[in-house]
Formats: sequence, C-alpha cells, structure tokens
Amino acid sequence: MRQKLILLTSLVALATAAAQSQTAAPSSTRTYVETLASERFAGREAGSTGERLAGDYLAAQLARMGAKPLPGRTTMFVPFDFTAGSKDGGSRVTVGPSTFSAPQDVVALSFSDDAEITGSAVFAGYGIVVPESQNFGYDSYATLDVKDKVVVVLRYFPEDADQQTRAILARYSDLRYKAMAARQHGAKAMLVVTGPRSPNAGQTVPISFDTALSGSGIAAASITGKVADALFAGSKPLRDVQQQLDSGNPHVAGFPLPNVTVTLKTSLVREKQTGRNVVAYLPATASGANGAKPWIAIGAHYDHLGLGRAGNSLAGKEDAGKPHLGADDNASGSAAVLAIAEAVAKQPTRRRNLLIALWSAEELGLVGSSAFVNAPPVSMNQISAYLNFDMVGRMHDNKLAVQATGTSPGWSGLLERANIAAGFDLTLQPDPYQPTDVQTFNQVGVPSLNFTTGAHVDYHKPSDTADKIDYDDLDRVASLATGIVNRLMDQTDPPQFTKVEQSSQTVSRTGARVFTGTVPDYTSNAKGLLLSGVVGGGPAEQAGLQKGDVIIEIAGQSITNIYDYTYALDLLKIGQPVKVVYMRGNDRRETMLTPAARN
Amino acid sequence: MSHFLRRTPKLLVLTALAVAVSAALAARAPAVGAQAYQEKDFLTRIRRLTVEGRRAGEGYWSKDGRKLVFQSEREPGNPFYQIYLMDLGTGDVSRVSPGIGKTTCSFINPETGDVLFASTHHDPTSKKQQEEELAFRTSGKERRYSWDYDPEMELYVRDAKTGSYRRLTNARGYDAEGSYSPDGQWIVFSSTRDAYARQLSPAEQKQLETDPSYFAEIYIMRADGSGVRRLTQVPGYDGGPFFSPDGKRIIWRRFDTTGVIADVHTMNPDGSDDRQLTDFKAMSWAPYIHPSGKYVIFASNKLGFDNFELFMVDIDGKKEPVRVTYSDGFDGLPVPSPDGAQLAWTSSRGGGREGQIYLAQWNHQKALEALAAAGPRK
Repeated sequence: MRQKLILLTSLVALATAAAQSQTAAPSSTRTYVETLASERFAGREAGSTGERLAGDYLAAQLARMGAKPLPGRTTMFVPFDFTAGSKDGGSRVTVGPSTFSAPQDVVALSFSDDAEITGSAVFAGYGIVVPESQNFGYDSYATLDVKDKVVVVLRYFPEDADQQTRAILARYSDLRYKAMAARQHGAKAMLVVTGPRSPNAGQTVPISFDTALSGSGIAAASITGKVADALFAGSKPLRDVQQQLDSGNPHVAGFPLPNVTVTLKTSLVREKQTGRNVVAYLPATASGANGAKPWIAIGAHYDHLGLGRAGNSLAGKEDAGKPHLGADDNASGSAAVLAIAEAVAKQPTRRRNLLIALWSAEELGLVGSSAFVNAPPVSMNQISAYLNFDMVGRMHDNKLAVQATGTSPGWSGLLERANIAAGFDLTLQPDPYQPTDVQTFNQVGVPSLNFTTGAHVDYHKPSDTADKIDYDDLDRVASLATGIVNRLMDQTDPPQFTKVEQSSQTVSRTGARVFTGTVPDYTSNAKGLLLSGVVGGGPAEQAGLQKGDVIIEIAGQSITNIYDYTYALDLLKIGQPVKVVYMRGNDRRETMLTPAARN
Repeated sequence: MSHFLRRTPKLLVLTALAVAVSAALAARAPAVGAQAYQEKDFLTRIRRLTVEGRRAGEGYWSKDGRKLVFQSEREPGNPFYQIYLMDLGTGDVSRVSPGIGKTTCSFINPETGDVLFASTHHDPTSKKQQEEELAFRTSGKERRYSWDYDPEMELYVRDAKTGSYRRLTNARGYDAEGSYSPDGQWIVFSSTRDAYARQLSPAEQKQLETDPSYFAEIYIMRADGSGVRRLTQVPGYDGGPFFSPDGKRIIWRRFDTTGVIADVHTMNPDGSDDRQLTDFKAMSWAPYIHPSGKYVIFASNKLGFDNFELFMVDIDGKKEPVRVTYSDGFDGLPVPSPDGAQLAWTSSRGGGREGQIYLAQWNHQKALEALAAAGPRK
C-alpha cells in the first residue's frame, strides 16, 4: 500500500516538474531528515549528546558545501547557556510547631527565589488582581495589608463563577502572575494551595519547566492540603472559605490567619547547560547594486524534545520516555535550510552573504535564536531579511502557510512571483508573534517569514518519524525558498521592515487546565477551528471528532478562530460534558465532549 | 466579464427574493441520475496564483498558455483595478495599464500579443476619484454600489512591441468586457452607449440613474476599432462575450430586466441563432467555452444567493449542468488554459470577501464523463 501511495505522489510531482522543465532527481532533503531524525541523535534535546552529535553533523554538511564560520570566528558552533530544568533543593515550611519538607508537602515554584522568610500569614483568596484597565473590579488584595508577610493563595480561579467572570479571572490566574501581584503588594513570600473544591485537590504543583536563569523576586512554593490544614487550624475550614470565594463575588475578602507565623525556606536547583547554535555563511561573490544590508539569513531549529521529559511532550502513556525523533519538528526545516544552502552554494553569483543558522533550544522557548540576536556576531541591521522553516514536511492539499508576512510590505509581491513556478496554495498570515524563531528576528526589526505545513497528530510525539515526511513537497518548499533567497540577493533595496502590533488576543496557555485532545490546524484561515487531528484516546476522539472537522461552537461560545477556542477552553470544567457543534464537510453536527484534566 | 464581487452588496438586498427562488427550485428538484462528484474529481493541485494586493481577478491566457493577463488592486494610491501581465515561466509580473483611473476586463490578442482592456485614464477627474475612494475607505463606511458602469470607460489596446496605447472606442457610455476572436481580427464587447445616444423616456432615464447596466448590449468591431455593429437588442444587461474556440459562435450572459436572473446564451457572430444554454432561475454568468468546444464552464448562485459556484454544461445546453466547485466563498470567472488542461478562476476561498486568482489542473476526461452522465435539462 505504501508503494502505491509513493507512486501516486511522484506522478503528481512529475506533473509539477514538467511545468518547471525539470526531471525527477534524488530528493534534496531526504538524507538530512532521515539522519537528523535517526535514533542516533535520540531526539536532539538541547544540551544533550544527541544535540551535540546532530550539531557536528550539520556543521560537517555545511563545510562540505563550502560554507564558512561567520567572519571573526573560527568555528560554526555558537554556544549559549540556559536552564535545562529545575528541581526542589530542600525547601521546607514551618507552621507553628510543625515543619513540613520537600518534596512530600512543599515544593518550590519554578520561578521562586532561594530565600528564608519568616512572617505572619495572610490568606488572600485566589490571589487574583485584574488590572484596572479591564474595567472589571476584582482585587484579592483590596482589603488586606500583606506588607512583609507570607501570603497564602488558592490555585486556579473561582470554581462556580459564571462564564463571563471565569473568562476574565482565568487570564490573571497564572501562578507567575499571582506571584507578581503578591510581590507588588509587599509580600515576602507566597504559598499556593490547591483548594479542596478544585481539581488536583490538596496536591502540590509540579515544577514546571522554566528557562529563566534567575528567580522572580519572591519566595514561592506550593503546599499540600495537610500544610493548609495547619495554617487554617485557627479559622474556618478551607473548604468553607473556598466555597464562598468560588461564587466569584469580588466582595468576598481574604483575612489574616490568626496567630500563625510561618517560616518558609525555598531552594531550587537549576540545572545549567550549554546548547550550540550552528551558524555559517556563504560569502557574496559580487557586490549588490548599492551594498545596502549585505546579509540574508535563513534558519531552522534542529533541537527537539529528546526523551520528552521536560514537560512539553504530548506522548501517550504507552510511548512516554521514548525518543521524540522530531522528523517534522524540525528535521524537516533543518533539511530545507541545508538544501537551500546547497543550491545557493552551487550558484556562480551571490550579491549578498547568506547566513545559515541551525538553532538549538527552540523547544525551550526560542532560547538559542534569542541568545544569538542578543550577542550577534553579525550586526542585525546588516541583515536584509530572515527566512525561518519550522515543520515543513507534512503537507496536505498542497497548502503551505507563510507566517509573519506583516513584517514587510514587500513580502506579498515577492511570494507571488516566487510561487508562480513553485505552485503552492499559499496561506498568508501577517502575525509574526509565532511560537518559533521567526519571532526573535521580528523583535529585532528584521523583515522575516516563517514557512510551515502545520501541526498534525504526531506533533511532539515519538511517532513524528522520518517515514511520514513528504519529501517531494519538502523539496518543493526548499526550491520555493531558494527562489526567494535569490530574489532577495538580487534586489537592490532590501525589504522595508513594518512593525506589527502584538494582538491582545495572543494564544496563551495561562490558567488552562483542561485537556480536550484537539490538534488545531494553525495554518488554516477557515472560519471556526479546523482540526488537523485528535489525540488518540483523548476527549475529542471519544466525542467522535476527527481530522478535518471544523469546530464552530463549544459550550455555547461561537468559535471563529484559534483565539476564540483558547478563550473558550478557560470556561470548561473538568469532567463536565459540554456541547460541541462542528462541521464535517457540509454537515453540521453536534456531540458532547467531556474535558479531562491537564497536570 | 463583469464584476459580481463588487455587485454583491446590491445582491444581498435582494436575498429574500433569492430565498423564494431557491425554494421554488428545491420544490422541483428530485435528483435524476445525479452522480455524486467532488471538486477534486475535476480540479487538482488547486493553488492561489495571485498573492500581492487587496484583490485580483479575471485572468485570461495568452494563446501559448505562457502568460496570464489579469486585473488587480495592488499599488498604493490607486484603489481601482489596474491590468497586470504575469509570465508563468519566469514568475515576473508587470503592470500593462497606465496606472491611473479605473480599468477592467483585459484580454490578450492571440496573434499579436497586444493587450486589450477598458480604462478611464483619459478622464481628467481620475486622480480625484482615486483620492475620494481612498478617503471613503478610510472613513470606514460601507458603499452600496461600487461598480458604477462609468460612462468614461473606453476600450484601449496596448501594443506588445512598443508599449504604447491606442484608444479603440469613442462613444459616451460604458465600453468594456472586450475579447478577441481566435484569429485576432475581431473584438466583441459590451456597451451601454445606446442609453447615451438617444432620447430616453422618463422611465428609462430613471433606470439609467439606478442601474445603467440595464442598457448594456453586445457589440462587435474589427480589432482596429472600425465597423462597430450591435448584436443584441433585448432589454437587460448583456455582457461578458467571448468567441468559441473555432470563432463561429459567441457566448455571453444575459440578465433579465430586474438584474437578478441571468443565463448563458450563444449566438452567431452576426447576432443570429440565439440559444439559451442554462435555466437555473438564478444568476448564471461568466461563461467560457472549453478549448475542446464540447462544453461551457460558468458560475452560478443556484445554491444560495451569495454562494457562487462553478458549473459546466454541454455546448448545446441539452443536459442539466454539473457542479464543479464545492468550496466556501465565491467561485467564478472560469477560464480554461488553451491546452484545456488547466483552469484559472477567481475565488474568495482563501478567506475574506475579496477574490484572488486560483489555478488548478483540469480533468477534461472526467468532465466529459460527468457531462455524458448528466440527465436531461430540467
């Protein structure tokens, strides 16, 4: 069956190739993807041996093409330090006569300062402060004096509030945000307890992944229900207190915990590691007409999730701990960058330098590319444009999304011309605030583009393997981009940069605690939320949803885009079935979906 | 070749009527021998061809299939369409109209490569109109009518060798929607000149003020603009004429007097032997004959008043038309490539209300199969 599929695909490719008067040639990307996504590199986790080996391989390929280390450097490796993870280093909390220790009853939050604080304790409800600009009065600190005290707050946001209230409070319920509010009110420490009426009741908060190299200016830890009981020994039981707060009524106030003095010692061990960007260049062979901005940059991240232990894996239980080979994410983008470099290296004339970057630690929050632009070996104002490739190996229906097109008025014309021969069905998305390295370059004022074929069911799972990559189309992406690079090299005036304002509706996972098992198609501009897949065994699959369905309503909220959907997720309650209205082809259908808990 | 993307606001006003029409259609619609087809049966490798600018449409091929001429709004300072020529080999795109005023409906002379189009650039108020339109847009108001059948619209031809422009028409009234005969010797076009050439009755005068397209009729002339002859005489908008591949027939669309119902017709180049090919009781327009000469691809809103889809019908209109597109948004203005293997058309399937030009592989064999299997015309 696979043979047959491959045969069909190559027929289509031939038809296209005919239009470009080319004959079928070996793939320009397959070997790169298969090597990078092989078991040998074990998922290329930033700082790991696999990452190091992958970096060596990439540098060797670039050297073979004739690329050189950047001017003034002797090697293609550009290292940077980052925090690879944190664990509790022996935090403890003393409430009156009782002392509780890590990791059983107290765990430092990942952004906590290391400190030892003693103070009287004040309960501050959910610890939420909605900014005045929102015109929605909710301030957990309105009636409290917490200066130099230890604040105790509930995790999440009021459980029984109406949807509108929940929707607003959810946005300000992230623990980092709560810690910031506590600090701004003068508190020296913050303890978080998961209330008895909430999911994960009485449990500590797992240390989340945080790449910050230092703390956030406050000692912060989560505690178990047992510690909370000690804190509330002299007042009403926490369950009753929470029930009052759960209405969402902003006039239900916190209170000082009578006669309770708390000593909190927080200790976090941050594991510092070194990652390596691989950066090289192909020098110009001729000068541009006016010499303006003599560099063009292309890049892709080559790191992935390793064994998936950092918390961003979507592997099911049966696959947990296996190597996440990341063939599409992002061996595909790395292969495209190598293929472009290879094509450009063979050209007799280059009117600008081509900077070729393979980033590491993208999966940890664009860490590698950010480190690069913060100490750039080539001045950013000499770079006329940056092209990024992230997940370009899983094309369907000939659709290629080009993101960040709002960063220059020149992009649409350039894309139109380059795509006439390449023949993709392009979707243009102006927004440069994408969760990939294109954002880094946008932020330093370089006109940028990101190319992607979008998310799929194997996203961030060990099943993202090289045999699932569509190499004919990946080759086509590389040749489209080569065409763009050549046009940029020959263009006298570099593209102008346009600043795109960041939408207030940025997709944020803050406060999200429900799991629906939907895989949105981020490349679609369709009205509603187009699913590029559903997570096996997840709530969406159980509800009968499948790839290609378009969700248009959930829990009574109409959905026109990904932002609406993210917003609506905040309103769902774990275990409480909600109606989902969706389109399958031209049929409007309904189903019930029961959200599950996220950690 | 006219512009229902722009006329949509007017159409929406009449939605209630359309619902009634659709209901009537549905009431008499037991599917006879209808086989289920999908878009991918006829169209593969669909892709957006034009990317730059706010909107683009009406792409017409050169005889060798290597170039496409189209209209697009894509340059700052002019909110109206201008005409562009795309080289499908190199990917180069260049403007071939003067850049000032309004233009529309271009076509490439099959013999000389000259580009025919309609333009108002000679109108001294052109610049002012551009500025006013831009200011109007900035104000954020919605316009009811934006396609105004400007009586300043005249046919021009751009010489492929020298790049100079020659004006072909000189009559007050909208002269546009022109296309060449296969030998490049003749031009068919649509014109409202009749409304400006004679004394109108008070009722006609009122008609001219509210909907000048009512007066549009089909005309033919030599490629140099001489020998103009009127081919149609029926009240209501006659427009969008094209020659058949053998040059022996002209295909166009005729609106009824209300401007709501339109159907596809063919006639001889002398105006005789008018045959009606469609009868959806809906707006069926923008017909173009496939190079095989066997069938016509056109657009219709049969399925919903603002839901235009592509259909095809046999060249004699004896059978029920077959639906071609199945996507959200507007699909219209289909033009097959000269070898019959590709289709260019205008679509809003990429999102938003404005159209762009799309290109796909056209499955001619499947089209013939589907047409053969279609039931007799209802």
